[in-house]
Amino acid sequence: MSERANESGAASAAAPDDLNVVEALRRGDEDAFGRLVDQYHAGLGRVARVYISNRAVADEVVQDAWLGVIQGIWAFEGRSSLKTWIFRILINHAKTRAARERRTVPFAGFDASEIDTPEAPGTPDSFRPADHPTEPGHWTHPPPDVGASPERGLLIREAREQLQKAIDALPPNQRLVLILRDVEGCSTEQVCNALGIQETNVRVMLHRARARVRATLEPYLEGA
Amino acid sequence: MGSSTGLPCREFVELVAAYLDGALSSADRERCERHWRTCAGCRTYVAQMQVVVGSLRQLRRDDVEENGGERDRLLTLFRTRGLHSRAPRHRSVPLGIGDAFAAPGDHIGYFWELDHEFDATVDFLATGLERDEVCVLPLRQDAANARVLAGLERRGFSLGDLQRRDRFHTISGRQPIDALLREFDDLVRTAVDQGVPMLRVLATLGWEHSDWAAQRDHLSLEARLTDTLRNLPCVLVCAYDVRGLSGRHVLGGLECHPWTLRHGALRQNEHYVPAEQFLERLAFDA
Repeated sequence: MSERANESGAASAAAPDDLNVVEALRRGDEDAFGRLVDQYHAGLGRVARVYISNRAVADEVVQDAWLGVIQGIWAFEGRSSLKTWIFRILINHAKTRAARERRTVPFAGFDASEIDTPEAPGTPDSFRPADHPTEPGHWTHPPPDVGASPERGLLIREAREQLQKAIDALPPNQRLVLILRDVEGCSTEQVCNALGIQETNVRVMLHRARARVRATLEPYLEGA
Repeated sequence: MGSSTGLPCREFVELVAAYLDGALSSADRERCERHWRTCAGCRTYVAQMQVVVGSLRQLRRDDVEENGGERDRLLTLFRTRGLHSRAPRHRSVPLGIGDAFAAPGDHIGYFWELDHEFDATVDFLATGLERDEVCVLPLRQDAANARVLAGLERRGFSLGDLQRRDRFHTISGRQPIDALLREFDDLVRTAVDQGVPMLRVLATLGWEHSDWAAQRDHLSLEARLTDTLRNLPCVLVCAYDVRGLSGRHVLGGLECHPWTLRHGALRQNEHYVPAEQFLERLAFDA
């Protein structure tokens, strides 16, 4: 843990590089737009599907979001990072569409109820009670040490499928935070800005989401 | 193990996300590191967490390679719908008046003389609100504005609620032109920054510009608005009450709008005069 990962990420205000991209888009530079698509298209789809389960509708929402980027770029002045802005446009479209399509998962937005509610019993990590005589708050069954190496990741196909399933099984808000922060590599601040929620709430969500995913993947982690 | 360091494992795992973010106070960081050194279970937990996070990142890298057809479609969208393009704009924003479709950046002069024609301005705003656009109403002519607001309420829109959710804004039309343009520009940029796809603005013009000085002032604002709007995701309709306005004011208004709307038909305006030329002429017209 001494070799702590520096994950804090860039500040949320637009980086100089963002401004170059914005200028290029305003000029109509197709390569610049293509690079933006390569960077974010898959992630936008992933986030859209948290709100909208129907794949075709989610794809439409992503396309609408791109149109929003294309038409809004002259008015974008870098109050937030380009990445935050693009995800915010997507989330706006997705929420609107989800409200319209009644057949989608109910998603009330970030009302913090997922944070206030304690984790349901049977959730991943279990600890001894705080009044335990010898080991209060300690692991009931500590994760078995098998010398996992972070660089390797879970490369095998089966593990990848389990990973995807574990993500899909998360409650919507936890899934959103996990996707933005860990899959898309947004900084915590960018996640706050994209979703309009507080930093502490992002961390609580992130912790819960990661803990669930870790617990689901434990069999594979042992073999890692 | 865990309990001996004063930080239970239960709390340790909750601090891991903040620790990795570098967001802990130095005291908490110290407690975490001490716990980590002494607790084998939590060391494994952190190591596995790093594998999980690494695998999540990998998920994204794997995705990036598979969007060929989509990419081409989006590039076409950029080429044809980007506001940089000199080609005629794709007209897909339903105006809600007649069957007309507008394009982002449109500055439309609506010349009306019958009551039901004026009431169609409510349809214009209602159509936007239904599409989750943001609506803006510059307040100047009180009676006309009151009628628009009442019309929206009658349609079931709660203006108080819309204003609280930043979906409906009023701005004062009784301020110097530069201040008004600044306020408008700032409002559009703030909305776009929040991820709003499109804004629509309704300006109502009636008898309040009593003398030519006030009318000239208003016309110079109109001329400048066309350029301000050009690259913004915004449609502005200026409703001219031709029964009450002077001929000179109406004709000036005609020359300031690249598009006109009359009896429900939206037309490109051959009488449109570019702002610079219009303002120059206006200066001689004192």
